[in-house]
Amino acid sequence: MSNAREKKRAKKMRNQPASVTLSSDSRPCHSGTQHHNGGSRSFQTPKQDLHPGSSQEYQQQRHQYPSPGPSYRKEQYISEGQNRGERGRGSWRGGRQNFSQEMPKYLTASTFAQARAAEINAMLKAVKQKSSNSLVFQTLPRHMRRRAMSHNIKRLPRRLREIARKEAEKAVHQKKEHSKSKCRKARRRHINLVMEFNRRQKKNIWLETHVWHAKRFHMVKKWGYCLGDRPTTKCYRACYRAMTKHCLLQDLSYYCCLELYGKEEELLKVLAQMCSIDTGPTFAAMPYLSGRFQGSLVLYRENCYPEDMLGPITFIWKPRDGSGVTSEMRQLWIWTHPSLKQNILTELKAVFQCSEPLETCSPEPIVTLLQEEKQTDVAVSVGKKRKREDNEGEKAVPVKKIIGDGTRIPLQSYCWTSQTTGIVISDLTMEILRYRLIGPLSHCVLTEALKTASVQTEMANADTKLNNWWVESCKNSEQVSLHQHQEAIFELLKGIDSPSEIPAGTVLGLTVGDPRVNLPKKRSKAMPNPEKYQDNEKVRQLLLEGVPVECAHSFIWDQTICKNVTENKISEQELNRMKGELLVPGSQLDLGPHESRIPILLVQQPGKVAGEDRPGWGSGWDIYLPKGWGMAFWIPFIYQGARVGGLQEGLKHSEYKRTPHIPNDYPDCPAGIQFARELENNLLEKFKRRPPAKRANYVKLGTLAPFLCPWGQLSWDWEVRHKAHEESTSTSSPDSKICATERQVPCDPKLGLIMEDSPETGILEEKVEATGSEENIMMEKMTKTQNLCKEEGAATNSGFFVLRSRKLLKQLSAWCLPTSGRGQRVRPAAKRGEKEITEDALLPIFKCYPRALVWVSLSLLRKGSPELHAMICIPTQEDFLQLSKDQLFCGPQEPKHSDTFKHKILKLKERKKKKNSRKALESGASDTLKEKAVEEHKELILGLWPDPLPDVTAHCSRILLGFVTQGDFSLAAGCGEALGFVNLTGLLHMLSSQPADKKGLVLLRTPASLQYRFARLNIEV
Amino acid sequence: RGAWPCRYLLCEILCEDPRCRQCIDERAVGASVKDAIARAHGDYGLACCSVSFTVKYLNAYTGIVLLRCRKDFYRLLWSALPFVTYLENRSHRYSCCFNTIHVGGTIRACQKFLVHYNRNQLLLLLQNCSNEEERQTIQESVLSCSLKELEEEQSQSVDEDDSAEVDRTEA
Repeated sequence: MSNAREKKRAKKMRNQPASVTLSSDSRPCHSGTQHHNGGSRSFQTPKQDLHPGSSQEYQQQRHQYPSPGPSYRKEQYISEGQNRGERGRGSWRGGRQNFSQEMPKYLTASTFAQARAAEINAMLKAVKQKSSNSLVFQTLPRHMRRRAMSHNIKRLPRRLREIARKEAEKAVHQKKEHSKSKCRKARRRHINLVMEFNRRQKKNIWLETHVWHAKRFHMVKKWGYCLGDRPTTKCYRACYRAMTKHCLLQDLSYYCCLELYGKEEELLKVLAQMCSIDTGPTFAAMPYLSGRFQGSLVLYRENCYPEDMLGPITFIWKPRDGSGVTSEMRQLWIWTHPSLKQNILTELKAVFQCSEPLETCSPEPIVTLLQEEKQTDVAVSVGKKRKREDNEGEKAVPVKKIIGDGTRIPLQSYCWTSQTTGIVISDLTMEILRYRLIGPLSHCVLTEALKTASVQTEMANADTKLNNWWVESCKNSEQVSLHQHQEAIFELLKGIDSPSEIPAGTVLGLTVGDPRVNLPKKRSKAMPNPEKYQDNEKVRQLLLEGVPVECAHSFIWDQTICKNVTENKISEQELNRMKGELLVPGSQLDLGPHESRIPILLVQQPGKVAGEDRPGWGSGWDIYLPKGWGMAFWIPFIYQGARVGGLQEGLKHSEYKRTPHIPNDYPDCPAGIQFARELENNLLEKFKRRPPAKRANYVKLGTLAPFLCPWGQLSWDWEVRHKAHEESTSTSSPDSKICATERQVPCDPKLGLIMEDSPETGILEEKVEATGSEENIMMEKMTKTQNLCKEEGAATNSGFFVLRSRKLLKQLSAWCLPTSGRGQRVRPAAKRGEKEITEDALLPIFKCYPRALVWVSLSLLRKGSPELHAMICIPTQEDFLQLSKDQLFCGPQEPKHSDTFKHKILKLKERKKKKNSRKALESGASDTLKEKAVEEHKELILGLWPDPLPDVTAHCSRILLGFVTQGDFSLAAGCGEALGFVNLTGLLHMLSSQPADKKGLVLLRTPASLQYRFARLNIEV
Repeated sequence: RGAWPCRYLLCEILCEDPRCRQCIDERAVGASVKDAIARAHGDYGLACCSVSFTVKYLNAYTGIVLLRCRKDFYRLLWSALPFVTYLENRSHRYSCCFNTIHVGGTIRACQKFLVHYNRNQLLLLLQNCSNEEERQTIQESVLSCSLKELEEEQSQSVDEDDSAEVDRTEA
C-alpha cells in the first residue's frame, strides 16, 4: 500500500523542482544517480530516468558546479576547446578531494546567470505542467466550470484546450473496446433481447418468472439456477404477516420432478428397498397409492437404512384409471430438491436397472414457439405485422427457450428404460412449474385468480390444435361430470377458513381457463367470504370427507396434452390487442372457444403438523402447471394480493414450522455435506476479511468450530464418553465390557437394521456371540474406532446418521417433557403407556444407535436469540439450583479460555520476518528444517482452533450435546427459537440424570458469546 | 478542516563569503531560522511557527529558499527572518542575511514569482556586465530559459550550450 502511495506521490511531484545544494558530502556521485542533501525528496530518484526533462539536466549540471578552488579560478583562462575533450565525472571527482579546504573567493557573473537560468527553467516546468492526477477541467475554479466540459473540449478556456485534448486522447486509448456494437434501440428489440437472454442463461437456468424476480429480488446463482434470494424491499415482517395472515407466493419451479412409469407392483417392490417403514408411511401407503394424497419421505440408498441417506422427497401417484389391479401401469412423480437430484436419479437408475436412454425423447427439445407463427395467420388479416413478414422466410430467428435445465447436461437423454421390467424413468425437470402459496388465504387467492374451464364441444378453428384435447374429453360425459365435480369442490374452497382444515397433502386436479382474461384492473387483496358459505352442508361434508379420489385426476399427467397446451398459448401481445379491440374498454374479454384450457394440479401443503402450538401454521397450496404458462399464472396471483418471497422467506417458513430445510438440515446426505462445506468457506472468508484485532477470538471464547458443525467428532466423542461412563459405573465387569464392545457393532448398517426389528432378541444373540472372545473383539473394536476417528475428517457420512425412526422419536419426545411440576406441558409419560427412562429401556437404544443425531427444536426460556452453529450444552446441578432460586437468572457464564495459539502465531510471524531478512542477506541459503516447521503451522489463523480439534464435548465448562443449524428470534413464537441436532447418546444421558421437573432443559451458547442461556428442548414428531 | 491554509515565504540568502553556499542545506537553514524565531519571539513564537514549518525548496547556487508556515503565524516568522545572521554547518559559521522577496499562498504562486524575479535579475545582470564574454554567456542563458526551449530539450535531451558553459568551470 505504501508503495502505491509513494508511486502516486512521485507522479505528483515529478515536475516539482528539488532543492539544490552544493554536494559537499562524500557519497560517490555519478551523473545517473542524483543526490539531494539531507536525503529528502528521495522519491524523486526512481523517476529521474523516466523523465529526461530539464530538471535532470539541470541537476546534472548542478553536480558540476561545485568545482574545486584552483580549477574554479582557472576556468576563465582555459579555452573551451581544450576542456571539452576531457570533461567527465572523473576529472571533476579528482578535484573534489580538496574541496572543503579551498573555496572560491568570488562569483563570476556567468555562473550566476546560468544558475538563474536553470532555476527559471525548473520553475517554469513546475508552473506550466499540472502536477495533480486530476483532469484539466477539474483544476478550474468552480465558477468557470461548464456542463459537459469533459465531453466537449471547446467549453474549456482556450489555454487549457491543448492539455485537455491530450488527456481525452489518452482516455480513449485506455477505454476497452466498445462491446455493445448496436444501439440501445436495436438491443432492446424483441429478437435481440431474447437472444441475449438465451445467452445469459446458458450457465444458470432462469425460471419463467426470472425477469420479474430480477427486477425485485437479490438474485443468487444456486444449484444451476438463478433464484431470487430475498426481495430488495424491506419486508421481513411483511412476509411473515403474509405467511400467517394472508398469502405468500413462492416460485418453486426449480424443484425437480422425476417420473417413474411402470407396473405398480414392480415399482413398489423396488422402491420399498429405498425407504423404511420406520420413518413413516412409504410409497405403498394406501392414501398415497390411490393418488388422493401427496406423500413425503426420506430416501436411502438401497437397503442402507438408517445410513446413506439420499434426501427428502415428496411424491404423487397418478390416480388409477380403471380397476384396482396391481399389475396396472402407474405413473409416479418424485419431486426433489435440485441439489439432491443427481444422487437420487443415479440411485433410481441403478435400482431399477434403467440404463438405456429412450430414443423417442429428443435430447434437447427446444420448443419453437409455434403459436407465434400461427398467430400471424390470424393477425395478418387484422393488424399490421411488419416484422413478422420479414422474419417468416428465415427460420433461424431465435425463439424463447421454454425448456432449460441447469442440472442436466445438454445433449443428454432424460429418459431411461429398463429392459427387464419395462419401467421408464424420465427427468421432467423444468417441464412442470410449481408455485407455492403459503398462508390461510391462499385458497382465496386461488379461487379468485383461477376460473374453471367451461365445457366446450366444438373446435374453434378446424386447423388449429388449440384445445383439441379438451374438446375430445368433453365429448365424454363421464369426463364432463368429473370436471363439474372438481369445479364444485374448487368453488367450495372459498368457504373454508384455512387450508390447514383440509387433510394434509390433498390432491385436486383441475382444468382452468386462461387466468389472464379475468385479471382485475387493480391489485387487491382477496378476502374470504365466509357468510356466503356459513351453513353450507357441502362445505362441512368436504371438511369431513376430504376431496374424493376421482377429483385428483388431472390432464397434467399426460405429456402430449401438456405439450399441446404449452405450444398453443396465446401470446401476451395478442391478448392485449384483443383487449384493446373491445367495444367497451375495460369490459370482460370473452374469448369463447379460443380461450386456452390449462390442466393444473393443486396440492395442499401441510403446515406445522408436529408439536402442540400453532397447529397448521404455514399451510397452503402448491400449484403445478405445464411449462410456458408461468407468467400467465404468476401475475394474476399477485393481483389477488399475494406477496412474493424468495429463498430466505422459504428458510424462515421452515424455521417457524420447525421442519428441517433442504439441504441445510440434512447433514447426513451428500448435498447437506456439500452445503455445510460451502457455508464454512463463506463464513471463513468473511471472518478472514476482518482485521485480526477486530475478529472474535473463538479460541478464547471456547468455541471449537464456529463455522462447521463437527457431527462426526461429536458422535465419536460421545461414544468414548459413554464407554468411560459405563465402565466406571458398572459393577459386573464382563457385562459392561460386552456393552462397550457391542456399541461398535451397528457400525455395520445391516446389523443395526436387524437389531432394530427385534431389539431384545438381537441383544441376546449378540451377547452370546460376544462372550466367546471378549478380549479380541475389544482390541479390534478399539483399533476400529481409532481408525474411524481418523477417517472422519474425509468421510463424514460414515460416522453418523440422523435418527428418523418414528417410534423411537416419539418415545424420546415423551421423555423430553417434564413429568411433574407446574404448567400445561406436564403430561406424565406413564399415562401414554410409554416406558420410563430406566437402564433397561436405554440399553438397547445405546446399542443400536451409537452415533445417531436427533432433530430437536429449542425455545429459549428467557432472553436470548440463538444463532447459527450455537452450541447446545448440558446444564449442571448448580445451574438448576440457581435457576430455581433466582427468577431472573439468565444462565451461567463460560470462563474465558486462554489462547495458546496466539503465542505460536506471533512466534511464527517473527520467524518469518527473520527468515526474510536472512534471505535478503544470504540469498539462497535456507535451512529446510525451519521451512518445514513454518509449513506445519501455515493454517494457523488467529482466533480459530487449528484442525485436529480436542474433545469437543468436554472442551467447555458445560458438556456439549449438539449444535444449532437454524436459529433466530421467532416472530411466530415470540421468543428465540432454534433448531438443531443433538447426539442421541448424550441426550439420553442428560435425560436420565435430570430431575423430573427439569427434564429437557438445556443451555444454549452462541459461538461469539460466553453467556449460556436456558432453553427447553423438544422433539416434535 | 481539510487542509490548513499556509503561507510561503520566498527568501534570498545573501552572503558575502562564497563558502557560505556550501552550508546552505535544508537542515542548516531550518535550524538557523528556528533559532532566530526563538530569539525574537520566545518559546511561544517558536512553537507557533514550528507547526508545519518546512523548507520546501532551496537552491544553493542562487540562494533562494522557500519556507512554509501556517497562515496564522507567518508574521512571526517573517518578523524573525531579519534576525538570522549566520548559517552554521559542521561547526563552520558563515554570516549571511535573509531577504524576503515574496510571500505567497501557494507554492505555485511563489514559483511564478520566482520566474519573473529571476528573469529580471538576469536582465539586470546583462545590463551591468563588464566584458564581452560575460555578456555572451548571460545572453545565452537568458535565451535558454524559455518554455519553448525547454520542450525542445525534452526531445533532444542534451543541452550543448549549458554543458559547454559548465565545462569551463570544471577545468
